[in-house]
Amino acid sequence: MLILRLELKRMLKARLTRVLLPLALLLSLLMAYLPVTFCYTSYTDPAGNEVQLTGLASAAYEKEQQAGASGSVTPERVRQAVETYQACLREYGVTESYDLPEGVYERDILPIAPLLHGVKEAFADPDTGMAPAIMEISPAEIDGYYAVCEARLASLMALEQPDSPAARRIAAEMYRQVTKPFTVYPGMSSTVMDYQNIMGFLVLLFCVVIAAPVFSSGYQSGADSILRCTRHGRACLGAAKAAAALLVSGAAFAICAAVYILASNSLFGWECAETSIQMVYSIVTLADMDVGQLQVLFAAAGLLSVLASVSFTLFLSSRCRSTAASLAAALIFSIAPAVISMTVPGPLSAWLCSILPAGGTSIQSSFLYALTDFRFLTAGSLAVWTPWAIIGFSAIEIPLFSLLSVRSYRRHTAG
Amino acid sequence: MELVLDHVTKRFRDKTAAEDICLKLTPGVWGLLGANGAGKTTLMRIIAGILPPTSGDVLYGGVPIGKLGEQYRNIFGYLPQEFGYDREFTVEDYLTYTAALKGLPEQQGRRRIRELLEQVSLSDVRKKKIEKLSGGMRRRVGIAQALLNDPEVLILDEPTGGLDPGERVRFRNLLSEFAQNRIVLISTHIVSDVEYIAACHAVIKNGKLLATGTTEELVRLVDSKVWSCAIPAEDVPKYEGRLSIVSLRNESGGGVSIRYLAENASITGSVSAVPRLEDLYLWLFPQNSGENERRNQAIC
Repeated sequence: MLILRLELKRMLKARLTRVLLPLALLLSLLMAYLPVTFCYTSYTDPAGNEVQLTGLASAAYEKEQQAGASGSVTPERVRQAVETYQACLREYGVTESYDLPEGVYERDILPIAPLLHGVKEAFADPDTGMAPAIMEISPAEIDGYYAVCEARLASLMALEQPDSPAARRIAAEMYRQVTKPFTVYPGMSSTVMDYQNIMGFLVLLFCVVIAAPVFSSGYQSGADSILRCTRHGRACLGAAKAAAALLVSGAAFAICAAVYILASNSLFGWECAETSIQMVYSIVTLADMDVGQLQVLFAAAGLLSVLASVSFTLFLSSRCRSTAASLAAALIFSIAPAVISMTVPGPLSAWLCSILPAGGTSIQSSFLYALTDFRFLTAGSLAVWTPWAIIGFSAIEIPLFSLLSVRSYRRHTAG
Repeated sequence: MELVLDHVTKRFRDKTAAEDICLKLTPGVWGLLGANGAGKTTLMRIIAGILPPTSGDVLYGGVPIGKLGEQYRNIFGYLPQEFGYDREFTVEDYLTYTAALKGLPEQQGRRRIRELLEQVSLSDVRKKKIEKLSGGMRRRVGIAQALLNDPEVLILDEPTGGLDPGERVRFRNLLSEFAQNRIVLISTHIVSDVEYIAACHAVIKNGKLLATGTTEELVRLVDSKVWSCAIPAEDVPKYEGRLSIVSLRNESGGGVSIRYLAENASITGSVSAVPRLEDLYLWLFPQNSGENERRNQAIC
């Protein structure tokens, strides 16, 4: 314990750590605030003046306007919303809401807009996946809204996973388990989750930068030659170094994620966290959870991913003779999932992004996007939904690479 | 208590750094003499257990140090040639960290650090970052860390590099005091550092052990090969090219006293001088490569 305490002290006193950890905290707050800056509303007030609102004022105005839509998303309420929408557009003789006269959308459609989320998607063509216009949907069909959603998922999975009956079966079963009717509390968009993703990725990079020199700097400076000649200077020191790096990184990420969630929920309203994720993402999203649960689960998966990345970075550090080499290698592996998701096609990309330690918090490819997607890792008759695969691989990689790094450090010989 | 190097060989891809070295180190101060690149550092790293030999073994109390593992490291102290440290450490933090790794309980560690900082005159700078210290001070921090656990086996690789003459003397005294019933091996090419405190020496060249013995035994190898004489100052350049001159001293009246190494007196009026360890070193490691070969063969 004394060695771990001293190693923690050493790591926390390092200049790099003293700069990066407060910066990570500041970035978390900044990232939580940035989605607010995208809020924009313009409307014409009763006096005929055009009013433009931005930031929190805009968010508050929209929430006020849509307060009536809050609550359970029953088929009846969806049907009423669709009927209101269709009546409004018919009254003005248009087929799309953006063709409505000024002020009409804000008055008639904006208050019911949250209930219309996913309606077009639910009625998408089963063969082509093309969504109809709301005007083309028969309100009578909405009475069986959730059965329509289940049918939509089946057709979607047939398009996404044509060769894996197991994946289709698991998806259908998962969606059956989703709590229905959904719930909606307007005010928070998926942008908030996107920024949680960016925040996680930045903190991951900081943690990797902190962990990269843990072993290699000792090799490079020669400090290691003295330390490994001491009684506890091999396996014990290696374990203490790995544990300290994991503790610092884990605590840093946990604090930043908590700060982000607290800040963004405080800005947009805590009730928004009770919105079913199907009312923010695809209406047929497989996971049974609300936005608040998604925030926490994403933070937990991000934590695992950060720990797996740090663990892997420690392993690289134990193998590299210079800090620059370990840092470069660690950064390459940290951004690899983003590059792979953009360049490697199909199932191989899903496998690689799930296996790579940074896959849980990467840009473009992360636990968040996996959880709101329909990709499965398939092998023969087996199928695993990618979010669970990401968590599983991370859980294996943390002890695996930690042990390998300690082993590698113990066996290191001076050049 | 003895440390035995049993036919130790270390080969790198294109070089043999240590070749079939057999040496028995007993308690006392040992000097490991050799020119730069002779293989001293490699040998010390092997003894420290941080570089495995290609063949052969290092035994402590008859047991290979690899098998002793933690037991050996518990009684071992090491200062490498390049004293590496974490740039963020203060003197005190570094010694506290190293003391913990050496298994010293916190209280005992603190006490020992205080003592050692006094002994190496670093008490005033204990809160300073090591990287802000002068080269000599850093070297003293390195010496202090090696002594933290009162090691039975202490290996110091070029410990006096960067120390001023006063610090050198203090270091020698500290080590002489410390070496009672312990094995201390000091590698150096600064002969004066070990001449007076080392009971025995091992001379290494091109990875091979050339000779071992006490100072008296070793200097006997250059008996009647050390000469001194006085020459006119203008003749110095002429003799510098022809002889291994150990020292030159200007005398009043324009003459110069020289001390040189040669099989026979090469200058008229030369008298045989009492050999010293430095003479042996220069005899074994001359600058002239042809001379170098010939003398090595003579010793072997």
